[in-house]
Amino acid sequence: MNLKTRKLYELDRVIHEPGRLMLVALLYAVEQADFLYLQHETEMNKGTLSSHLSKLEEAGYVEVTKTYRGKIPQTLLRLTAEGRQAFQQYRHRLKEAL
Amino acid sequence: MHEQDEVNRMDQIESLMKRPVLYNNIDGVGELGLGLFCLCCGLLDWTQVRNPTTYLWHRWWGMLWFWLIIAVIYYGSKAIKTHITYPRTGFVEYRKRKSAWMSALALGCATALLAAWVATLASRSHWHIGGPHWGMTTPAALLGLLYAGAYAYKIAGEIRWKWVVAAAMAICSVVIAMLPASMIGVVAANTSDFTTLPANYRAWILTITIYGAIMLISGCVSLVLYMRHTQPAMETAE
Repeated sequence: MNLKTRKLYELDRVIHEPGRLMLVALLYAVEQADFLYLQHETEMNKGTLSSHLSKLEEAGYVEVTKTYRGKIPQTLLRLTAEGRQAFQQYRHRLKEAL
Repeated sequence: MHEQDEVNRMDQIESLMKRPVLYNNIDGVGELGLGLFCLCCGLLDWTQVRNPTTYLWHRWWGMLWFWLIIAVIYYGSKAIKTHITYPRTGFVEYRKRKSAWMSALALGCATALLAAWVATLASRSHWHIGGPHWGMTTPAALLGLLYAGAYAYKIAGEIRWKWVVAAAMAICSVVIAMLPASMIGVVAANTSDFTTLPANYRAWILTITIYGAIMLISGCVSLVLYMRHTQPAMETAE
């Protein structure tokens, strides 16, 4: 196995999945965003988006906060410190592999 | 082939990371605010220039209008975001970077230097009716073109129809620089400053007022298009 292939093999599988990669990249650029924003940007349906967010939450990369905007429920999402570090590492490894 | 996929993936990541910044002006609120600010600054300057120094526009409390405009822009933008944007396409809180104040400081210094440059050029060349004016209005036109370039780079690069707005700004700058001396003189006609006010400054008032009007129109069009193409989200479980 050459070095480039090894670098690709070492990529974080939780982040590498295209749907989750989109979510992590969007959340990396902001402090926090709500579910609706992520749905609008990724054009995923609610079920798929929830499923990806659950996996990221299980991995400890995303923090979910349920709150209210006035009387309307709002789900806020932010990358944890661990999530930020994992995404930085992912980008670094991907760049090295290219 | 595999490597090409990874290169595309890297490009997609970079592009996705820019999207939240662009989202800030998805509803045209950024342009509305800036447009209103430029238009009001231009109009306030114009009223000061047009009226004798004894008028209220020249008193310190005449500046209250300026702060009122700032408040309208701040609370107006907030209201549009809260009542129109967030229920339709979602809420975003931006990161407060530690280096942000350094960028603001650098931008402030650059603006101050440019303003000082324009003022120096202006003070060297006072207005003469019927005399040559091209050299006097060129700095204002150059500043205008610089601004149009920045607008094209930051906003029109992502939204195609905004190239029309950038082109309109650039054309306005050139047209103002080429206007006959008598037409630019109208800006400061019938005032005590008529003989001393530099042509450059008059050209700048015209440029900033027209730019403000253009951005205000562009922001309004963006807001209408945004509202037409989006609907408030239904309340269902997330």
